Amino acid sequence: MNATQPAPMLEARGLVKRYEDGVLALDLVSFAVRAGEIYAMLGANGAGKTTTINIFLNFVEPTEGEALVDGIVTHKDPLAAKERLAYVSENVMLYPNFTAIQNLEFFARLAGKTEVTRDECRDVLRRVGLQDDAHAKRLKGFSKGMRQKCGIAIAILKDAPAILLDEPTSGLDPKAGFEFLNLLAILRSEGKAILMSTHDIFRAKEIADTVGIMSAGRLALQRPASELAGQDLEQLYLQHMAGHVERAA
Amino acid sequence: MITNMIGVIIRKELRAALVSPKFVASFGVCALLMLLSTFVGIREFQASREQYEAAQRLNEQEMREQTAWGRLGTRVFRAPDPLQIFASGLQNDIGRWSSVDAFNPVKLKNSVYSDDPVFAVFRFIDLAFIVQIVLTLMALVYTYDAVNGERESGTLQLTFANPVPRHVYILGKAVGAWLALIVPLFVPLLMSLGLLSVFDILLSAEHWLRIAIMMGASLALVSVFIMSGVLVSALTSRSSVSFLVCLVGWVVTALLIPRAGMMTAGYLVAVPTAAETDSRLDGFSKERWNVHMKELGERWRARNEQLTGKTEEERRAEREAKEWDWMEEDDRSRKQVQRDIDEYATRLREDVRNRKLEQERLGFTLARFSPVAAFQLALMNLAGTDMGMKARFEDALTEYRKTFNTYRDAKVKESGTFGGIRISFDSQRGMKIEQGREETLDLAEMPRFSDPRVPLRDAFSAALVDIGLLVGAALLACAAAVAAFLRYDVR
Repeated sequence: MNATQPAPMLEARGLVKRYEDGVLALDLVSFAVRAGEIYAMLGANGAGKTTTINIFLNFVEPTEGEALVDGIVTHKDPLAAKERLAYVSENVMLYPNFTAIQNLEFFARLAGKTEVTRDECRDVLRRVGLQDDAHAKRLKGFSKGMRQKCGIAIAILKDAPAILLDEPTSGLDPKAGFEFLNLLAILRSEGKAILMSTHDIFRAKEIADTVGIMSAGRLALQRPASELAGQDLEQLYLQHMAGHVERAA
Repeated sequence: MITNMIGVIIRKELRAALVSPKFVASFGVCALLMLLSTFVGIREFQASREQYEAAQRLNEQEMREQTAWGRLGTRVFRAPDPLQIFASGLQNDIGRWSSVDAFNPVKLKNSVYSDDPVFAVFRFIDLAFIVQIVLTLMALVYTYDAVNGERESGTLQLTFANPVPRHVYILGKAVGAWLALIVPLFVPLLMSLGLLSVFDILLSAEHWLRIAIMMGASLALVSVFIMSGVLVSALTSRSSVSFLVCLVGWVVTALLIPRAGMMTAGYLVAVPTAAETDSRLDGFSKERWNVHMKELGERWRARNEQLTGKTEEERRAEREAKEWDWMEEDDRSRKQVQRDIDEYATRLREDVRNRKLEQERLGFTLARFSPVAAFQLALMNLAGTDMGMKARFEDALTEYRKTFNTYRDAKVKESGTFGGIRISFDSQRGMKIEQGREETLDLAEMPRFSDPRVPLRDAFSAALVDIGLLVGAALLACAAAVAAFLRYDVR
């Protein structure tokens, strides 16, 4: 470990995942995300982004290697790892018969924030940009963007040092996408380690500290975003996608 | 931490259930059915209590009007019990009264269903029925999608992105559903119990205790179905599949197994029907009386032969002298016939009962594979309307008949007159009928029949096996649900 760098908050060490049907979803994937960093995983559908996130959440166990959260191996002590993780999925699904505040209260308490108050929930909902009049409304009438905001609010309320985002901007309108990036920047400034999977190469380049391109279960490219500034990320992405398609064929 | 988490999940489940249409529907259906069934049960109980009291009064009136100890007989009526409002069991299937006299064996006659067959077609809905059919179904409706429904809606993934132990989640789910179902069970039940006081139905402390244990058994049954619903939900990935599995499972456990168990036992252990038994008893009785009448005829012929060759005066004098001995001899012979018939009836009943017991034991053992049947048996035992009800009454009646007949015989002896009608023929004076004394009988010391109530301790012991089975089944389903969910893919 470099003496000047803090220990990674999220770390993948040689992750391999082979499913029972023989499909190799991950092939020796390694990376690290430190506190105050955003790592963007780019890749086509089936490249292994969601599998990587699922291993961090211990929804699936790696065939080889390990995923660590704050030094805790996720499949060995999943509960301790999850205490340090917040998660926002591509399509946040909450309880439709509960209000936004009730949903926030429930998930915050599940995360161990038993003393969370309604005012705290309102503050966080305001912070993610959900209008006040929507706070006490049931979620069944919410748009996808509103639900995503609630999902992010849940992640913020958990106040975990690491955040996993699985295609968080998918389906958001440009304004909401822009607001979301601002929010991520704030969370980074608060010292959160953020691992984000996305198709959106432009936003990834804009916000991420490190960009990893995944292709057919492998981390094909991993560069600091600053080094990619002068290069054509789109070109690189398409180049690896082409490789992915050829391998898949 | 874990307690807090279970509390959070339970509160969420409870909140989700309370705002769901299924809660409103289950509460409405349960409240309506329970109040209606209690109301109907109360009216039925009041009607049978009035009928019982009127029949008792009429019987006492008739007995007071009797003038001869020898002809004294009575009728015994089965007193209704308020617990029949909640678990009617066999209450309406078995007869309500039996005659008790020197000549006929005891037999319960005129059941509610034989008097009003329409009730047999549309049987009474009681608490036992509501719990067995409605609440078990509700329990499955509450839980069939407990796990896979959350997976389908996407909330399971977000839940397990938090440090939630899987067993805690399953327990929280089950307890939440359980508590949500208790409201539709207990609120209408408390209202139903309130109806009892409105209609002046007084319950003893023992009745209340029995009702409390019945409630415990109801909770155990509901728990079995809640845990089974959660188990099926944790074994399947789609809620439409788990709904189908739960529905089929319910039909099998609630409707099929209890009937199949009893039918199988019926095929394996043959028991003579009541008509066959009665016909055998009638046959024996007729044959025995025929023999007796033949012997009686021969005895009289022999007695008359002893008088041949004597003058009319000598014959009359000898008849007068021996008449009482002859009557006593005939009475002894008649009593012997009756004793033989009684013994035969007892043996026959004993044989039928033993076969029935064997059939029941086998049937119940098979039926107990269904928690619904175990619950039904437990409730009937607690309410005293169980399968042994008829035998218990007939045994008590047979005992009472012995006591009654002993009392009557003592009174006959004491009074010096049998009370029969004396008919004498005379060639000169014609026929003469003497009825004996005219005054009514003093029945103050007559033994009274007391209802054979099963003590609470015995009733509880009998129900304990079934309650134990229910608790065991609930725990087993709970353990299986936890085990199934440990391997469940939450994505």
